[in-house]
Amino acid sequence: MSGPPLWEPAPPARGLRGRLVLGFVGVSVVTAVVTGATAVVGALVLFAVAGPQSAAAGRRLRDATGVGELGGSDLVWVLVLAAVLLLAVSAGTGWLFARRVLRPVTRLAAAAERVTQGDLDVRLVPEGDDELARLATRFNTMTVTLGHRVDELGRLEARSRRFAADVSHELRTPLAAMTAVTEVLRDETDGMTPKAAQASRIVVTEIEHLNRLVLDLIEISRFDAGTARLDVGPADVGEAVRACLARRGWADVVVDVPAGLVVPLDRRRFDVVVANLVGNAVRYGEPPVEVRAALAGGALVLDVVDRGPGIAPDALPHVFERFTKADPARSRSEGSGLGLAIALENARLHGGTLTARNRTGGGACFTLTLPTGG
Amino acid sequence: MPVVLIVEDDPGVREGLELGLTHLGHQVRTAPDGEAGLEAAARHTPHVVVLDVMLPGIDGFEVCRRLRAAGSTPVIMLTARGDDVDVVAGLEAGADDYVTKPVVPRVLDARIKAVLRRAAPQPVARTEAAGLTIDRAALVVTKHGRTVDLTPTELRLLLALSERPGQVLSREQLLGAVWDHDYLGDSRLVDACVQRLRAKIEDVPSAPLLLHTVRGFGYRFGPA
Repeated sequence: MSGPPLWEPAPPARGLRGRLVLGFVGVSVVTAVVTGATAVVGALVLFAVAGPQSAAAGRRLRDATGVGELGGSDLVWVLVLAAVLLLAVSAGTGWLFARRVLRPVTRLAAAAERVTQGDLDVRLVPEGDDELARLATRFNTMTVTLGHRVDELGRLEARSRRFAADVSHELRTPLAAMTAVTEVLRDETDGMTPKAAQASRIVVTEIEHLNRLVLDLIEISRFDAGTARLDVGPADVGEAVRACLARRGWADVVVDVPAGLVVPLDRRRFDVVVANLVGNAVRYGEPPVEVRAALAGGALVLDVVDRGPGIAPDALPHVFERFTKADPARSRSEGSGLGLAIALENARLHGGTLTARNRTGGGACFTLTLPTGG
Repeated sequence: MPVVLIVEDDPGVREGLELGLTHLGHQVRTAPDGEAGLEAAARHTPHVVVLDVMLPGIDGFEVCRRLRAAGSTPVIMLTARGDDVDVVAGLEAGADDYVTKPVVPRVLDARIKAVLRRAAPQPVARTEAAGLTIDRAALVVTKHGRTVDLTPTELRLLLALSERPGQVLSREQLLGAVWDHDYLGDSRLVDACVQRLRAKIEDVPSAPLLLHTVRGFGYRFGPA
């Protein structure tokens, strides 16, 4: 599966904390202004009601304490200082408050991020009994349920894959018995009645199909079970390609590989990939089929191209899926329907890729890219 | 034509292979389990034994070990799964080659002929090293004066390596020269056979003086 990733790491969040601090400061300032205004209005009212006595009392107070000997500009400075102090204190308190309120949210965000990355064992410790604590509890329940569900799905998938593997193995013994006698059947058709000869030809052909299908099923079940092993050694690409073609009698395939191109490969697996791609091109494409290879950007890039009609656009995204047949009319072809899926698994086992596209000039192009480790 | 003993518990596969190999001109004897297989091997003295891995009672690996202890009749393992584990275990038990089920008789026939192929006597008559004498004309190998009992495969491998002392031969080269295989990824055959050869011709198999491993490439014959 390709396409854009469903998830991207979230950028670090700061906005909410800032807004909480700002809000706290705002509330403090408003409170301070309201309190100040109330005090001024109160003082004015008091002065209006009890003016003279009050003035005398004020003077006495000033004489006794020294307070009030300040000039007008001093008063402004005191007010500014008080305002700054007020701002600082409220901002600090606001920051502490915001951090305290936001801590569970930050933890939740981190936990959610870990869940997204596939860690379903992450749990939150609910603090207190507020809404955020309840959210944490719900979050825990959610991850537990999700974990059970994922485990269950994994078990089901493993079981169905193991079933497929078991079935293929069980089919092997009867197939082995049938395969052992196909040559006798084929060689003895001359002495048979025409009907019996035709029947035995059909049986022989179908046994061969079944054989290929079962062997491919067994091969792909090794990838599913994770038991496929890579046996890498230095290999001459041109030599390996030519040997692959010669072994299968594909004499008309054009090979364009520079001499002495040696890369680390699992020879057997590389052979399987090339055979599947070329076999596909020979079967479904038009000649000339061409195999080209070169080093590009520290990787071996191998193209298998043909001059046929190419792959139907709606079938293109599915060519590597198991039992996909490009043309429904060709639903029972020579292949097992697993060839390209096996080729892809082999490419991946090498840490490489295998892709398919249609060429602008017509025909399909399959590209195998294998890292060379250098 | 060689006498082939097939030891296989499944009656369909056993009869099928008997029919298929007889059709290709072999004389075939069969046995349904390990005990009967060992008995038949002693009675019929077959040229080659085709041995199923999964057998009731004594399994194929054990039968192979006992056949090896008794003589040097080549053994071809019939692995049901083609699993690497089975292949390696079979080769360690002393099998000369293996085929995976289902097998076409013509392929089995080719493998039988390959393990039975005797090395051609060569004019360069003798190789002597570290107490080992290889008589290429008589195809006899002796170690400190005593004859070493080698299977045809082991003998061919030893001849192939000792023919060019000091020269490194890759696993692929040896696979082609000794087993007639062109199937890739069967280099384990070479490794297993070298192990067996070392056990037979080296004084200390874990510190070989004659059969040297050249890491990542192959093997070389030669004193030191």
